[in-house]
Amino acid sequence: MSRVVSTYGLCHKVPKPPLKAANRWHSLRVASLHSQWTLLSNHGRALQTDAVQANDVPFRKHLKDEAKRKRHAERNVKEDHHTGSRGKKEEALRLGKWKLTVGLEIHAQLNTERKLFSTAKSSDNDVPNSSVALFDLALPGSQPEFQKVTLIPALRAALGLSCKIHRESRFDRKHYYYQDQPAGYQITQYYRPFAVNGRLTLYDHDGIAPEDGQSIDIGIKQIQMEQDTAKTTLQPPSTAMLDFNRVGHPLIEIITHPQIHHVQTASACVRKIQLILQAVNAVTTGMELGGLRADVNVSVSPKDSEILGQRTEIKNLSSFKAVEDAIIAERDRQIVVLESGGFIEGETRGWTLGSTETKKLRGKEGEVDYRYMPDPDIPPLIIGQDLTSHIESFIPDLPDVILKDLTMHSGLTSKDAKTLMVLDDGERLDYFDDVKLLWSIRRASSKPVMDVEHTQRSISDDVADRRQSGLSRLADSSPVFDRVVANWVLHELGGLLSTAALPFSPDLVPPNSMVDILSNLSENRITGTTAKRLLAMAFNGDRRDINTIIHEENLALQHLSRDEYLAMAQSLIDENSDKVKQIQQKGQMGKLKWFVGQMMRQGEGKVEAIKAEAILKELLGVS
Amino acid sequence: MSLLRKAEQCFANQQAYKLLNAFVTPPSLGAVLQQHKQDLQAADERRNQGLEKSPIDGQLIAIKDNICTTEQPTTCASAILGGFHSPFPATVVEKLKSAGALIAGKTNLDEFGMGRGRSHSTKSIHGAVKNIYKQEGDDLSAGGSSGGSAIAVATGQCDAALGTDTGGSVRLPAAYTGAVGFKPSYGMVSRWGVVAYANSLDTVGVLARNSSDARNVFDVIKGYDPHDPTSILESTRVRITEHILKRKSELGWGSAPTLRIGVPREYNTEELQPIVRRTWQNILRQLQGMGHSIHILSLPATKMALSAYYVLAPAEASSNLAKYDGVRYGNRSSGREGSANVLYARTRGAGLGEEVKRRVLLGSYSLSAAAIDNYFIQAQKVRRLVQEDFNNAFALQHPLLKSKSKPSRGADVDIILTPTAQSLPPKLSSLSRSDPVQEYSADVLTVPASLAGLPSLSLPVPISSPAGSGADSPKSVGMQILAQFGDDDLVFDVARMVESL
Repeated sequence: MSRVVSTYGLCHKVPKPPLKAANRWHSLRVASLHSQWTLLSNHGRALQTDAVQANDVPFRKHLKDEAKRKRHAERNVKEDHHTGSRGKKEEALRLGKWKLTVGLEIHAQLNTERKLFSTAKSSDNDVPNSSVALFDLALPGSQPEFQKVTLIPALRAALGLSCKIHRESRFDRKHYYYQDQPAGYQITQYYRPFAVNGRLTLYDHDGIAPEDGQSIDIGIKQIQMEQDTAKTTLQPPSTAMLDFNRVGHPLIEIITHPQIHHVQTASACVRKIQLILQAVNAVTTGMELGGLRADVNVSVSPKDSEILGQRTEIKNLSSFKAVEDAIIAERDRQIVVLESGGFIEGETRGWTLGSTETKKLRGKEGEVDYRYMPDPDIPPLIIGQDLTSHIESFIPDLPDVILKDLTMHSGLTSKDAKTLMVLDDGERLDYFDDVKLLWSIRRASSKPVMDVEHTQRSISDDVADRRQSGLSRLADSSPVFDRVVANWVLHELGGLLSTAALPFSPDLVPPNSMVDILSNLSENRITGTTAKRLLAMAFNGDRRDINTIIHEENLALQHLSRDEYLAMAQSLIDENSDKVKQIQQKGQMGKLKWFVGQMMRQGEGKVEAIKAEAILKELLGVS
Repeated sequence: MSLLRKAEQCFANQQAYKLLNAFVTPPSLGAVLQQHKQDLQAADERRNQGLEKSPIDGQLIAIKDNICTTEQPTTCASAILGGFHSPFPATVVEKLKSAGALIAGKTNLDEFGMGRGRSHSTKSIHGAVKNIYKQEGDDLSAGGSSGGSAIAVATGQCDAALGTDTGGSVRLPAAYTGAVGFKPSYGMVSRWGVVAYANSLDTVGVLARNSSDARNVFDVIKGYDPHDPTSILESTRVRITEHILKRKSELGWGSAPTLRIGVPREYNTEELQPIVRRTWQNILRQLQGMGHSIHILSLPATKMALSAYYVLAPAEASSNLAKYDGVRYGNRSSGREGSANVLYARTRGAGLGEEVKRRVLLGSYSLSAAAIDNYFIQAQKVRRLVQEDFNNAFALQHPLLKSKSKPSRGADVDIILTPTAQSLPPKLSSLSRSDPVQEYSADVLTVPASLAGLPSLSLPVPISSPAGSGADSPKSVGMQILAQFGDDDLVFDVARMVESL
């Protein structure tokens, strides 16, 4: 046998760490922590949405704010042109020299019943620590068990964002210490995510900056699946209560390319991604409810430079407003630094609501090295084309398609259409569709209204069938009727909801009742005032059939004769000679409306405004 | 002899050999007998009627203390888990119990299984394990990290024991104590409830006094476990068995086949003690005499395997041990952290031992952004080369890889036979003086099989002329039998054959 001389030494010797004197020990049964722990935060954490933010902005308010801002912007531009506000001018000049570049990382909680790697139920509302498997607590000897069911919403999200699905993806460990991270690492997909190369188009109606024109494409670099962390509830001064129900809940992280150059476009992008995720039923709740969180990467560079500036990352933004404000503050900070001859450090910064500047969390030297490592226990994830195709075939219409349909075919304003789409997690839009469809079927069929039961049954079956096959949008309808439906579903019903401070439910005013009200109104059998009264009655729990109510309460429009109109008008004219003068001599036609109003009030729902106005004009000799 | 009588002898030995420190909490004689008497009598009853639950029905099996049991604490010999009671048992423990085996107790180990070359089961909060053998009056190493299990078996404190083998932790102590130590193919035995050290390498192994006993235990604990994502699926097991049987029938192997035995040149290191080399040569000669053929071959990646192992195992360990923070279970330092942005430094500083800290630091470094490409990634490439070396050496194709039609190079062997360790057990006193890096090299002969996931068994081969002069000097040298992935049965068959020489 030959002899081989060999060395098997290792490359480096590791110096012995100095050993501290052994501390005293005590066992820990309850997760109560030292107070100094509560000072720590922001370790590149997973979803940090521990409580509903105090700044929750309902979507409609956001739309109003947006409209207000647009008006302001227009006014400012005018002011700059005409009066010349020095501060604004300087700012505009300064911004004109610099180009902002933003990339987004959006974390969203997947809508699924299992945790990512354990069979425990994924629920945030249960009794604390009641839905926790051995692996969720990182107990010694426990191992991950990938839950296939979590793939379904993840794939829906990826397909909704036009991503390419990798047949093979892998799970990696991202290490950092924090009390809400039991294993000392988060399982994520760093080296090989399951979805890449997606894209979404933002249109002007999505609220992008005017500079971006009619539309802009934003590339999605990748989408990865990962675990959520535990929920921490602080009990000052020295206790942190940990609820591990949320640990391991599946999240997706969506990373865009740095292709956004305007603040408004950034928040429009976040909003649009949320809209798409909801439309494909991939996520639990929207951003303002804590189901979504964004990190933004911000850099500025000279306007004409092709090279991006050094970026900083701002973590944990949990509202659209926070996204905008944080980007503005960080952009301005970077410009000030650069203009004063400084340079930008690659660092992680934080933003608290209401502040005007971002705060440094840790610099490059303090940057956490996550020591990404492939998880040795988890085999590669193989996603077959059959699964992808199957899920793709069940993806419902995306927001852009729905919006186009609502504005083009139903004739809604873009604002109403968008409001309808985002309210109540899409339930209001479903309700709108149901009412619209029922009404169009009612109009098309000549079935007597009396045959209610049979009709109801077949109609609701039909609605269900159509919705299932994605055909509801294609139902015959006409913009006139659709706009009426939208008006009543959004504004009339919406008014009642906000007065009563109730959440929307399609059962409050069943679609059939709504159709009854609207068809009676449109066929002129009741007045608008009566229609509103009927809606309020149904809303407040009157379960009688609408036609029964009309009959029993004697609400049907009784057509007054021409003589009755004339008599009513004449007596009003006689009693208000001063107003008559204003109309006849000064041409104040607005006063005519006052007369119409008076007639309608006296007529108690029997006077039709158009007829009343015609009679008044005739008597007053105006046109 | 009745099972009860046999168990009583074991219990008596537990008392007699208490000072060797094989068990972490040495049970008192009365208590264990009380605890197990009924079960043992019931097992005897079954045996008398020929209704044994399994070949290990009524046997006493010791469990390494990094394998979860619910009756006893599971401490991994670490201060951070002192007194920790696992809420669930390991699958292997459940399997042993349902086969009628009784748990003899929890055995001592190097903290979290980080032993072997470096620690020799001396790095335990429960104190060092001592070998029964001595040299010139000095205590010898029992090897690590399953030293407690090995000594418990070697001194008759139990019938067999479970250990864990990550880079040689079952085989090395077996070789040092004169026991049989078996490491199965990776994925054959469930790791659910086995505390992870380096989970891409960790296996549950068996220590016993002969290969038949080891095989009986292995037959009970193997099998697919849905809780362990790395456990080999039932369908794959069937495929592996068919793959192996096909080749055997093609070769017309009967009960006593003629084998091609591989001898890798790289294992004949300069550091190999003469007595070890001599024993190796003797065995090979005898096997040749029986008609088997010996083939010198080369496994060139062997030289890099140890370095790769000491990058990969610490890397995984640094990750797996991050969970020990004293928040949800285990122990926590009562002292406050000295500086802001520090969470567990005191807890981990005080709760983890020196060798564990060394490997956590080593692993954290090799995974860091600046070092991962040069260390972790390179080591993974070496691991692949080591696997390819073995695939080139074995005549049997790796059953999980796509079959390639490779031209036979003449050296296609059925098994590989090497020493398990380069030397007889060293003196415990010499270990404290030596350099850790030098000590790591004691694993050089066992690590390649771990990197490749191969089945491997260390068999004690009696030595003709004792190395020391005393009656308590080592009486055997460990010889390692390696086979292709999935062919665990062949390893046992060959062991049986060598035992009968």
